[in-house]
Amino acid sequence: MDKKIIAELSKIVGDGYISTKQSELLAYSVSASMASNAVLPGAVVRPADSKQVSQILQVAAKYNIPVTPRSGGSSLQEEVIPEVDGLVVELLRLNDIKFHKELRSVTVGAGVTYGVLEKFLKEHNVFLPVYPESALVCTVAGNVAVNGAGPGSSLFGCTGELVLDVEAVLPDGRIITTGSEANPYASGPYQRYSFGPDITGLFIGSLGSFGIITKVSMKVFKRHKYYDHNTFGFETHEQAEQFMVDVKQNDINGVFTSLYEGPVLELFMDMIGEELGVPKYEWPFRTVSMTIGRVREDLLKSDAELAKKLCVKHGGHVIGISQLPYQEWNGRLWFFVRACYVHGWHWRTLYHHQTPTNAHRSVEEIRRVMDKYGFLGHTAGFASGHSSFNAYPHLYFDPQDLEDEQKIRDAHKELAKTLFKTGAVPFKMAPYWADAIEGMDNYMTFLELIKKTIDPKKLMNPRVLGGL
Amino acid sequence: MTEVDLDELMENLAQCRRCGICRNAVYEDKGFDGVCPVWKNSAGFETSFMRGRIQVALALLEGRLEKTEENAESLFSCTLCGNCTSICAAEFDPAKCLESVREILNKIPNEVRDTIAKKILENNNPYVDENKTRRDWVKEVGFDIPSTGEVLYFTGCTAGLKLPETAKATAKVLKAAGVDFTVLEEEPCCGSVMIRTGMVEEAKKNAENALKMIATSGAKTIVVTCAGCLKTLREDYKERFGLDIPEVLHVVEYLKPLIESGKLKLKKSADSKKITWHDPCHLGRALGVYEEPRDVLKAIPGVELVEMETNREAAMCCGSGGGLRSYDGDLAKKIAADRMNDAEEIEADIIATACPFCEHNLKDGADRIGSKIRVVDILDLLAENLK
Repeated sequence: MDKKIIAELSKIVGDGYISTKQSELLAYSVSASMASNAVLPGAVVRPADSKQVSQILQVAAKYNIPVTPRSGGSSLQEEVIPEVDGLVVELLRLNDIKFHKELRSVTVGAGVTYGVLEKFLKEHNVFLPVYPESALVCTVAGNVAVNGAGPGSSLFGCTGELVLDVEAVLPDGRIITTGSEANPYASGPYQRYSFGPDITGLFIGSLGSFGIITKVSMKVFKRHKYYDHNTFGFETHEQAEQFMVDVKQNDINGVFTSLYEGPVLELFMDMIGEELGVPKYEWPFRTVSMTIGRVREDLLKSDAELAKKLCVKHGGHVIGISQLPYQEWNGRLWFFVRACYVHGWHWRTLYHHQTPTNAHRSVEEIRRVMDKYGFLGHTAGFASGHSSFNAYPHLYFDPQDLEDEQKIRDAHKELAKTLFKTGAVPFKMAPYWADAIEGMDNYMTFLELIKKTIDPKKLMNPRVLGGL
Repeated sequence: MTEVDLDELMENLAQCRRCGICRNAVYEDKGFDGVCPVWKNSAGFETSFMRGRIQVALALLEGRLEKTEENAESLFSCTLCGNCTSICAAEFDPAKCLESVREILNKIPNEVRDTIAKKILENNNPYVDENKTRRDWVKEVGFDIPSTGEVLYFTGCTAGLKLPETAKATAKVLKAAGVDFTVLEEEPCCGSVMIRTGMVEEAKKNAENALKMIATSGAKTIVVTCAGCLKTLREDYKERFGLDIPEVLHVVEYLKPLIESGKLKLKKSADSKKITWHDPCHLGRALGVYEEPRDVLKAIPGVELVEMETNREAAMCCGSGGGLRSYDGDLAKKIAADRMNDAEEIEADIIATACPFCEHNLKDGADRIGSKIRVVDILDLLAENLK
């Protein structure tokens, strides 16, 4: 990057917080996304606050430098892979937390991780109840930018549904605050739907394409005091899926309701069952693992009993192994990261939502590409809101075998297309999905119009939103 | 000597799937309140913690990055504390891998590393030209210590040359416990810092020489007060160099049964003290010695043992390990100051440890923040409370 630009950026963040070292650029050329091509940026800056972010974006706009916002670097679908000679704006120094007790909300800087926030909120007996599977390293703002989901989503929906407002720096450097806090006299974040259109929503899942989120305000809830953990076995996917639908129809408070294939569960329990204290068991064709959470005991008991009845009603049987859902929920900051990395495989994922009764289609599609291309993989998922199901296919490969990796890239591309045709929807338009979507011309034209209006120079994370 | 298998190392490094949990995970259930002390106390770029370092290591090993001192800098700005290993969700040991990377890439220029190795090989210690002075403290203990015997007190370079009070205290405590022990006439360096910084061939030569000198004592048991010496003599000499060395114990391990059996009697501390224990990385995470020093401290009448927020497997490092104190002294002291703040938070009167490197660096950290907490080696405390 030009020395003059570096000098201007240094003036903003200070010499210590800008790097153009080869080794540093190399480290920022990748993220937790696997089987991705590394791209060397031209510089990395670590601003301290929104004001510095604003000044940085003004410099970037002046010199037409593409910008990639980045926080935890844990995203899995190439969301923070930079542009050649571009600028990475790393946001981890923005780490303020402000709790609004009366408003049942919390405002966090873009560098605050779920792990840090969880510890903070616990002291106030509240929680931000949706956790990404990478919660120990993922930032809340980053998860808003990718519109994530995870444990807790079965009851509370996707992360986006918990957002009250954002503070964002626009591509020209202007700073805006959305929701009720757009009113400078507002006492804090208390209403997202203010002043007409949902401008907050524009930034959720936008992957930094419309600007950089520097703060987010999130709804928080009283921590559940009472939990029931149980597992339910089914011999057909219809039975399991109908059970999941009925759990929602009956307002059973399943905070995390997962659906597993028998062989997949067996594979993972072989690897980590013992360390998690999950007893050996011959898992059925489908297992639903559910944690019900309530603030009052009587409601919990009622929910737990009803869940058992519904299971039997749909032809299933109550397995009664509580350790699996217990670990999924109580160990939610660790369980999934351990399961994802305990085996030696690298993998690509393709997060998407289905309807619960279509969950088996995701399984069928991944199995089809596994057979066709000859690789190992799996998918599992969980109820992710009002009536959706989040599936997370993992496609395994050996990173030291380039042919194997290419096979996964090809299979992955095909899988995105076929999943789309099953009616699945991605959380966000990460680069993986660009070639998969079709029949959405008007939608994409409208999206392009928004992008052009907000970011006419197309400098903000240009590789996402299908490269609009 | 066990040589690094490059294929195996590459396979291990490939276990890192860049999740980034090794940066700043705060996870109360496992005791973590942050992970990497370097990331926390530096400008915090990606190469300041293990995920970035592994990317740099892979690029250097694969030839994607030129092998220059600047490009390899991040490989050395690491204390090798192993906190990343403690929390890593994958099945490999990142800190151990980095040590191997340093070994394989030890032709990349690094003046600090080379100077330390040269001094050790020439002088048998990294600090002074005249190694014989390291036994001077013996003249001040008030009794003779022979140079042959079954129990050898291996003082270590830092206690022998920089912190002789610890050596004297250890001698007094051992004598009070009725232990006939010996100290070498001219003790060699164990070579720990050479191994950690990648100079393993040189370390092996040093180890063979050291073992010969140790053998002159006729020792059947070696006790040490330095956690670095412990790991090196107990683990590296055997596993890495295949050397046959007598049993090696840290003095806290050695003394615990003597206290419990009543052979070592301790009096009540002059006044009630709130003491916290800093786990040296080489003693704790590396060798799993967590409870012995705590039990020893609790055996001092009147002592109240309190824990810092991070302790045992998740304890934050003092900042002096892995050669960092020599490579970037300012950063090492900043990390020490951060650790002292942990002790300040729980309002401890004393922070005790069992490693002269930790003690030395924590003292500098205390000075940096103006802390009044006393930094002390556990042996100093025991010596003060002998009946």
